[in-house]
Amino acid sequence: MRPLAALIAAALAFVALPAGAATYRVDDGATQPYESAVALRWRSVAPTRGGDDTMEGATTVQVRLNLAPWLNRQGRIYLALPEQPPGKVVARWTTQGRLLPGQVGTGQRTLVYAGPITTPLLAETLALRIEADGNRMAASYRLNFHFEIDVD
Amino acid sequence: MRSAARLGHWVGAVACALAAAPAAAFTTNITAANPRTIYLQVGVGSFTGGNYNSGGTPQANPTVNLVSVAVPTAAVGNSAAQAMATNTGATNSFYDGFAFCNANQLYVGGFYRSTTNTGAATVTANSATPLSNGSGQTLPFTQIRWTSSGNGDTGAQPFPAGTFTGTASQTIGPIARNQWAESCFSFSYLNTTTPAAGTYTGTVTYTLSAP
Repeated sequence: MRPLAALIAAALAFVALPAGAATYRVDDGATQPYESAVALRWRSVAPTRGGDDTMEGATTVQVRLNLAPWLNRQGRIYLALPEQPPGKVVARWTTQGRLLPGQVGTGQRTLVYAGPITTPLLAETLALRIEADGNRMAASYRLNFHFEIDVD
Repeated sequence: MRSAARLGHWVGAVACALAAAPAAAFTTNITAANPRTIYLQVGVGSFTGGNYNSGGTPQANPTVNLVSVAVPTAAVGNSAAQAMATNTGATNSFYDGFAFCNANQLYVGGFYRSTTNTGAATVTANSATPLSNGSGQTLPFTQIRWTSSGNGDTGAQPFPAGTFTGTASQTIGPIARNQWAESCFSFSYLNTTTPAAGTYTGTVTYTLSAP
């Protein structure tokens, strides 16, 4: 009986998640960067005594978020940048007003929206600026971002 | 047991359905553009937009500076080293404008930018062709040495003191990856030979090579 009870509890907890406070990945499959690759250049042409070996570059991202599952609910949307090669990366962005501007580092997430979900599809344009440690940029890397939503 | 097994399959089916729910991620490819940059300045240099620390950008400068000495007749060949002077007037570091060198010193500095850790860049000097007086007599560059210093510096200079070897590729010193290196050379003529009278001139070419 104990295994059965445990399975029932697990099943109830699992299917109960969408109705309670929880974090979900947002379907941003329609989101597209304008450029296929961002060329990073040394922020300082010469090495600095402060050791600034940052490389930086910019791109524009057309964001399309499918928020239909949470329509008419209160939610907080975050842009997340998981830990991944090439290590420490910082992304800063400005927006056209539908999402909040901000910045996020690897392993972090940053709030871009808080309030009622009033539209099934949120479209926004991010002017994205990416900074990476030039000492780790020996190769090209694919940076994976994703959006998360916390719903009440 | 059969009930438990059936429930287990059902839970598994729910889990699969949720895992297949929309969960995308947008990606941005990043790549280093022009990741390797080198700069070497021997004597005078040129920058636009100020010094490096204020956003200046290095420029090419084709000037060949002169390091010279006039040896008094009575002193020729007496092994008393004769201090040489430069005509550069370049005493300030273009890094930040600091007066790093003194008058009559030769500024030697540069940087090496790279994203890959494949070793340091190296400054070499070619002094294989001796000085000549234009009348067939020569003086080897091995008669010239230098000391190395820098105002405000402590510890070893990145480009240490030495004497020209009269070879095509004499190592002057390294520039580590993503570092700036600079030294000020004070040259001396060793004066250990008695050459024919005349004005001897020659050229030493410095080269910065990155791996």
